[in-house]
Amino acid sequence: MTYLFWFRQLLEYLAGEIDSPPDGFSVRLTTILFWGLWWGVLAAIVYIFSGQSSKFIYIDF
Amino acid sequence: MITRRQLGWTAFILAGFLLAMNFGVAYLTRNSVPRRVMRHARDSQPARVIALGNSLMAAGFEEPVFDSAAGLTAQEGAVNLSLGASSPVEQLLLLRYALAHGIRPHTLIYGFYDLQLSQPVEFSANDMIGNHAVLYYLEPIYARQFYSMSARDSLQFKALHNVPMFADRGAIWSKVEILRRSMAQQGMPQQNTNQFGKAADFSLLEPASADAFRKDCEAAQQLPLAPPVAELIRQAHEANMDIVLVEMPMRQSHRAQFYETKWWTDYMSHVRDLLQPYHVTFVDAGDWAADDSLFDDPLHLSQRGARLFSQRMGELLSVKAGQIADNPLK
Repeated sequence: MTYLFWFRQLLEYLAGEIDSPPDGFSVRLTTILFWGLWWGVLAAIVYIFSGQSSKFIYIDF
Repeated sequence: MITRRQLGWTAFILAGFLLAMNFGVAYLTRNSVPRRVMRHARDSQPARVIALGNSLMAAGFEEPVFDSAAGLTAQEGAVNLSLGASSPVEQLLLLRYALAHGIRPHTLIYGFYDLQLSQPVEFSANDMIGNHAVLYYLEPIYARQFYSMSARDSLQFKALHNVPMFADRGAIWSKVEILRRSMAQQGMPQQNTNQFGKAADFSLLEPASADAFRKDCEAAQQLPLAPPVAELIRQAHEANMDIVLVEMPMRQSHRAQFYETKWWTDYMSHVRDLLQPYHVTFVDAGDWAADDSLFDDPLHLSQRGARLFSQRMGELLSVKAGQIADNPLK
């Protein structure tokens, strides 16, 4: 299996597209701590990119 | 497959993560710009003069230069509580905050821009980001009477104004935006920036045309003072302050297109009439920085321009026994 294919499967697993992880990735769907934190990381990524969308953006340093 | 119970625990862990993020955001934004202004107010109890306004005043008023020109000591001199990208509502809140924290000034210098004294303040939840975040944590319920929002945004405000992740989202996002800008600059001609952002962007805040400005001036002549402005003036007057309203210095093109017109003169005359009961002193500083090189961008004074403006303000308002000197103010 190429790394790229493995990585694609990993992303699909993390995103909920497939239910089984690629070989060598030990986190199962029942590992609730991982998934709780993973959702938190996704929420944090959405959060930091949520800002102004106006033409004029004012940032006071 | 996971069970419903496992899903519940996962959601619980996520809730814990978000709670921790809220603490993290509250910690990271403890020195945000509005909080720095509030701290400056707390640390300036002996100050006898308060300067207030938006970024024009924040960039344009230099306390030490003003103090020296006005013959005031640094300790009992001026405190500049101006906040960039603020509306009169935030300015009213900062004045109240200063008074509540023991500042007993004899003079308020309030710098204004264009029709800010008359235009009602409206916000959407999307607008309330960056320095407007002060509306979430400084007397949020009191302040709501001075600006309007849609019913949906108002509901969102009530539900979330105590949540740091929501209130201070702009402070975190701005770091990402600055990173994005620096990446966008790779291989591109250098853009002129200053403490407030891209210099060229500020021309977007000027009226679209002389004709549009004329219409706005004519409409504003039918309006009373904007409620937060009227309240700010009233509270300053009640606190026995001498109130000085300053038409902030503008570049030549802005003056020629907008200020050196009959409709602007008529509008200012209307405002003066409204403010008569408060014995407000007007300072027409629009042409104090005659040379455009004294500006950093289409609106803000450069450091050199700020020194010139503050020096002249200090000389003009040379304070004697709590009274503004009887100089003709121009």
